[in-house]
Amino acid sequence: MFGKKKAAVNTKVVNPDTVAAALAKAVAEGDFVNFRLLFLPFSPAREDSSERFDDPKYAYLLPNAEGESSREFTEAMRIVRDTAVWAHIQRELSERRPAQLPSELVMLLADNAVRLGKYTIAAQAYELLRIRRRVQEEFFAQADQALDDGKIAKGVRGYLIATGLEYNYAAFPEPLPLVPNWQTKALLLHGEYPRSPEECLPLQPTDVFLRNALAFLLLNPATAARLDARPTEAKLAFLAELVKQCDPEWRAFVDRYRDACKLMRDFEARIQHAIAARGESRVSLAREIEEMLGQDPREIPTTLLGRTIENGEWWQYLKELAFEHPAAALFVSRQIIGDVEIIVPRYRSDSPVAPAVGLLPANPVAAPA
Amino acid sequence: MAQDEENGYVDYFEVLGLDETAKPGEVRKSYRTKMKELVAEIAAVEITEERRSRYLLEMAKLNAALFLLRETDLRDAYWSDRKQLIALERQWRDAANAGQDTNELRKSFDSQVRGFLSRYVEDAMLAGGRDKECVEVSYWDAAHERHASGILRQYRQELYRQILERLPYADVTKPNIDWDERRRFVTGVLAQGAH
Repeated sequence: MFGKKKAAVNTKVVNPDTVAAALAKAVAEGDFVNFRLLFLPFSPAREDSSERFDDPKYAYLLPNAEGESSREFTEAMRIVRDTAVWAHIQRELSERRPAQLPSELVMLLADNAVRLGKYTIAAQAYELLRIRRRVQEEFFAQADQALDDGKIAKGVRGYLIATGLEYNYAAFPEPLPLVPNWQTKALLLHGEYPRSPEECLPLQPTDVFLRNALAFLLLNPATAARLDARPTEAKLAFLAELVKQCDPEWRAFVDRYRDACKLMRDFEARIQHAIAARGESRVSLAREIEEMLGQDPREIPTTLLGRTIENGEWWQYLKELAFEHPAAALFVSRQIIGDVEIIVPRYRSDSPVAPAVGLLPANPVAAPA
Repeated sequence: MAQDEENGYVDYFEVLGLDETAKPGEVRKSYRTKMKELVAEIAAVEITEERRSRYLLEMAKLNAALFLLRETDLRDAYWSDRKQLIALERQWRDAANAGQDTNELRKSFDSQVRGFLSRYVEDAMLAGGRDKECVEVSYWDAAHERHASGILRQYRQELYRQILERLPYADVTKPNIDWDERRRFVTGVLAQGAH
């Protein structure tokens, strides 16, 4: 009754055109996950699998009319249909062992992923082909050449792509593409509370600031070090363009940043007023300000982020801010006001950095007392 | 050529500047000399993040070298595993070049190479760091170990990659790379985005 399973009777026929279309779609879209799936033991592309392409759950594997008309799809289909490649695909789909992927398609998939900005996928595909480092170095080389020629936007784009192709060999348990995790790095950047305002990153001398800012945004001090030999003005222009290319919504942050600076200036004026009223004593100054003027300093991080985080600590605001606007983490610092610790806007008025990235060229924000 | 074939299989005799016939006394002497030189160098320079990683790795390599080579049992096991693995790699490559089915060889080699690197890179380096004799000379402590764990993992993967680079392609067919075409691709991508 519950004896050996009967061998499955193979009655399934897979339409080769459907297989070709599904492969071409994955390649055209730079989708390595779907591409690999098509070769797995349970793939609907295998005749010995019980899965079927006509099952609605696999509809996402097949191209729509718009997708089929794209240049990328046509090119992918041309390579899928190449006699040698197609013979290899059919052989691999009929074998009961891990498939050997056709390198021609993996290469095209990686290239399409680069064009679409899917750098971590491209990194995986190039790594599989064992050419990731050399492709990455080519992006760096051409980006450096563009910078030498004064083509900043092109140079920055090259650096961003090359950075996106980086691999983290220390990842556990297996190496993985380096993921742009600015939200985590921002916490490390502000890990220690500045003993004096001058110690915080935004108030560092321009060269120190630029080195740290580039290492932060390019995710790797070694990548930032490639720019060390360039003059400060060039690094400044690079940073300004990098900020824009990392964050298409930077302009929205700038507006909120300016509002937060205004709030900080109001606080400063009130603090100065309170100091004058109390003479030298600064005891309970913040509470006094709050009580006398009725303003909560937590409005400042809320303004910076553009929304409130319920019971939000300074690090939650910082983390979300860095997730939405990576470069924002470079222009804020931690500040204890009364009983609360918040993040506040800070920049050096005597440094060209803040105007270069579009922040207000206003007076520096003074350290709250 | 033979040297290239051994890239990635860490050679602790080479780390200590010795050959495989070195006696335990020579191993200890070389370890002490090299570690003292390294500690003096570390004390003399400003420690940056990059230097810290490099020095930690160098210390860890020396510790592992002493740990594995000063006793006959461990040393023989390490050297025999290393030779066996190099031979297995050669066998796989020869079989692949002869057009034979290499799936079983590949699986066997992959599992053995991972085991070798795990045992004789990360594990030996960490065990060496905890060894009394190593601690005495290198001042290695829990803080070193904490900082080194990621660095050692990265080093192990780098060695794996070095070996992988010369192996027959298995997960993907061997690509035919035209580097001029690759350069044109990069140029095209950068031009496309610069507008």
